[in-house]
Amino acid sequence: MTTLDAAGTVRHIRHRLATRRRLVTLGLLVLLVLAFALALYLGDYPVPPSEVLRSLLSPLTGLVDKGVDFIVLNVRLPRATLAVLTGISFALSGIIFQTLLRNPLASPDIIGISHGASASAVFCIIALGLSGISVSLGALLGAVLTALVIYGLSWRGGVTAYRVVLIGIGMAAMMSAIISYLFTRARLFEVQQALGWLIGSLNASGSDDIIGMAIALALLLPLTALLARALDAMQLGDDTATALGARVEAVRLGLMLVGVAYAAFATAAVGPVTFVAFVAGPIARNLLAGSGKGFVQAALVGALVMLGSDLVAQHALPAVQLPVGVVTGVFGAGFLLWLLVVSNRAGKVN
Amino acid sequence: MPSRTLLSLAVAAFALNPLMAHAAPWTYTDSTGNTVTLDEVPTRIIASQDAAAGLIPLGIRPVAIYADSPIADAKALQGLDLTGIEIIGQAWGEVDIEKAAALDPQVVIAEYWPLDTAWSGGEAVVKALSPLAPITGVTQGDSIVTLIEDYEALATSLGADLSKPEIAADKAAFEASRAAFQAATAAKPNLTALAVWAGTDALYVAATGGAAELMDFHAWGLNLIDPEVADDRGYWETLSWENTDKYQPDLILVDNRQASTLETALAQPTWTLMKAAEAGAVTEWPAFWLRNYGAYASELDKVTAAINAADENLSE
Amino acid sequence: MAEAPATIVTTRGAALALGLLCLAVAVLLVAFLSITVGARPITLEAVWTALTAFDPDSTDHRIIWELRLPRTVIGLAVGAALGLSGAVLQGATRNPLADPSILGINAGAAVFVVLGIAVFGITQLSAYVWLAFIGAGIAMLVVYAVASLGREGATPVKLALAGAAMTAAMQSVTNAILLTSPRTLDEIRFWQVGSLVGRDMDIFVQVAPFLAVGILLALASGRLLDGLSMGEDVARSLGQNVGRSRALAGLAAVILAGAATAAAGPITFVGLTVPHVARAVTGPNYRWILPYSMLLAPILLLGADVIGRVIAPPGEVQVGIVTAFVGAPFFIALVRRRKLASL
Repeated sequence: MTTLDAAGTVRHIRHRLATRRRLVTLGLLVLLVLAFALALYLGDYPVPPSEVLRSLLSPLTGLVDKGVDFIVLNVRLPRATLAVLTGISFALSGIIFQTLLRNPLASPDIIGISHGASASAVFCIIALGLSGISVSLGALLGAVLTALVIYGLSWRGGVTAYRVVLIGIGMAAMMSAIISYLFTRARLFEVQQALGWLIGSLNASGSDDIIGMAIALALLLPLTALLARALDAMQLGDDTATALGARVEAVRLGLMLVGVAYAAFATAAVGPVTFVAFVAGPIARNLLAGSGKGFVQAALVGALVMLGSDLVAQHALPAVQLPVGVVTGVFGAGFLLWLLVVSNRAGKVN
Repeated sequence: MPSRTLLSLAVAAFALNPLMAHAAPWTYTDSTGNTVTLDEVPTRIIASQDAAAGLIPLGIRPVAIYADSPIADAKALQGLDLTGIEIIGQAWGEVDIEKAAALDPQVVIAEYWPLDTAWSGGEAVVKALSPLAPITGVTQGDSIVTLIEDYEALATSLGADLSKPEIAADKAAFEASRAAFQAATAAKPNLTALAVWAGTDALYVAATGGAAELMDFHAWGLNLIDPEVADDRGYWETLSWENTDKYQPDLILVDNRQASTLETALAQPTWTLMKAAEAGAVTEWPAFWLRNYGAYASELDKVTAAINAADENLSE
Repeated sequence: MAEAPATIVTTRGAALALGLLCLAVAVLLVAFLSITVGARPITLEAVWTALTAFDPDSTDHRIIWELRLPRTVIGLAVGAALGLSGAVLQGATRNPLADPSILGINAGAAVFVVLGIAVFGITQLSAYVWLAFIGAGIAMLVVYAVASLGREGATPVKLALAGAAMTAAMQSVTNAILLTSPRTLDEIRFWQVGSLVGRDMDIFVQVAPFLAVGILLALASGRLLDGLSMGEDVARSLGQNVGRSRALAGLAAVILAGAATAAAGPITFVGLTVPHVARAVTGPNYRWILPYSMLLAPILLLGADVIGRVIAPPGEVQVGIVTAFVGAPFFIALVRRRKLASL
């Protein structure tokens, strides 16, 4: 291809990619709205759609029905909202790590950060006998500390993705050993409580969780946009980036901290729900087919996966309510194997 | 507009209600000092598995039960008729809040665990259910009999008639079993017993003070060996399988919440370092799950039979 | 000049053989410690009489024969199996990070054991053996198969990530079962941690045939692994069937790791770290790395077990925890220090 043709072709391709990006974003938004509506409608307490709508508008219209309003406004709405907020949060944490480490498999639930949060939370539950918000804070602290330790240990005049991933896996194994040990040292009642936390559930979604997540996202989202743009501007690839030196490293570190914060807050709110962080980025990128970095789309996918998984967990089995983490885990496993097979067949994992 | 009219009627009824409610209010004060007051005696009750096991035999049938395991595995509920009762939770921390709301419950009855300062079922379930109805219940203490009596008082306040023949018969059967138990322990004043849980990693010796039924047994004349060092919460001493002969009881009580506990014990070569194990003086310990006279009577009978068969001078 | 390399080889060979002998002595020493150290204080004299003149009425003698000897024998066997399987895997995949635990084998075994307890009501350790064996084998094959697709084969990162992901996936299935079955949770939590406690000779007898076959296969694959370590093309030019060599070595590794997990539950990092220590001593020659790994690993495993018995009295810390805390820092140091892309 000659340079003369290229200019026109590039413009043409750019245009097509932008269209694709817009279509993907729009499609995901529509799906998310549908899933949200479904989450407000489905349930063992029968509420017709018109009643759902009336209930949603009741703060404005004053048309109140105590029973229905409780179900719609106090059960389904908080649950769906928290699913969306944490889904976004997990997804962004995943795609930040995947982007920075240039590896689709390098999400926080693989490289030890979730394990750190889990070990810390299980320690709080079993050894300290804590529950509720103190466990969440413990998880938060565990996630941040583990991330710092992994980063510190990976530092040898710089951080390579390769070292972070492998050291993260080592840390994950150590954290799992701590959890196993604590499990043998506790009463069954406490082990059940800890396990329930480990799987991750939206069952006790309250306004406190939602407010916490909303504040976290309000702070983190603009920061993410800022840092990602800064990185884009500086970075055309690792090699050129090193020329810019410390500033790139600082931005990368900042972005990584933001990624840890996303994972930590979401984990504190609903537990370490597996695979949402892991799958959101790759799904978004597959949909975009190279037409963007996919942060926004990944966030939408994350929200959709979380909300959809919870719908399945709630309504798939008639007699048993399962926590959302079970479904995301099973769904993620299938997707993961598929991703490995496809990317490996193409001859590259990266 | 018809719906508007209905609504105003409902509001009017609601406004009148407190006045009418004074006729038959229901109040219950739990051990934490919280009082629940309702306008009428509640009939739509959601019960935890423990509370259900306490109330159903007394004639109070909850509309729904939440458990932390498949309902078939809930030892406390075995043998009770659960037909017509919704099961709204069968896993730890999970409860079907919508089913619960559809039943329009007036009160949630759980059990309070003072050692964990928590209601049975765990925080997540309590948090989910508490907007629907106030939560209350009896408190676990140092005697199953007291616990059952607390359930009797609660059930009576809920309208149960304890003089009904089948309820009275349960109690009479229990009294007979208790008398037989006391006679058996009185006949063997030297007999010592040890309550254990067996895992592949170690043998766990129960502290009498950690289990209400063990304190009952103790009060009725059974010499239970108390471990020298219990864990930080005062439940167990962990004995390596190398040290199973640290205590030598005449009779061993094995936690019967799961049948596999005894199987595990029997599979350990050093289980028989205890003479009682060698002699087969082993019986079941109904650990932590008794909530009614019927179950207590049949469990007591098993222990009594084992005491009668045991050799009180075995360990000497 | 022409004779010099041969002389070096022989002196080096003699030194390595001597080292092997020293290791064998060390194994005996650790085994001795494992028999004498435990929750119950037993005098050396009593240990000696227990071994030479067993008295079935003596409690101390019964402890030695019924608990410490089986525990020691299983510790030795499991250690040898883990060390060998790690070495063979690393050689066959030319991957310094290949390790049974990192390849998802533990999680695979756990899923099957949990299913066995929850669905079929199995509760005895001896019955877990078969379940763990099958689960371990399936998980490892899937991980290896998935990771080795593609042009450059099973690279360290691909294997590690496929294994970690497989582990996470299996873990969530396991958790789902455990959450709805406290009965299963109560059983599995003591198995999942990786321990030598409560294993009797029956369990050893069950896994012994697999261990024997696995050890023979592994030791016999030294020449094949040496061929592979020169690169596939070289190996091929020397008349080696690369595919068949890999398959044979892989089979040995699966049998060994599966048997070890079946006997003791999931134990991490032994299979990973030991071959690296062996390699540091012997150099890149698998005919030496394999026997060294086979002797070093039981020293680590049984040593960790003895440490676990004494660090937290009156209880014990399970061997799986101790090896994770010894092995993970070593693993991290390894990642930091070496270029791992090639062996």
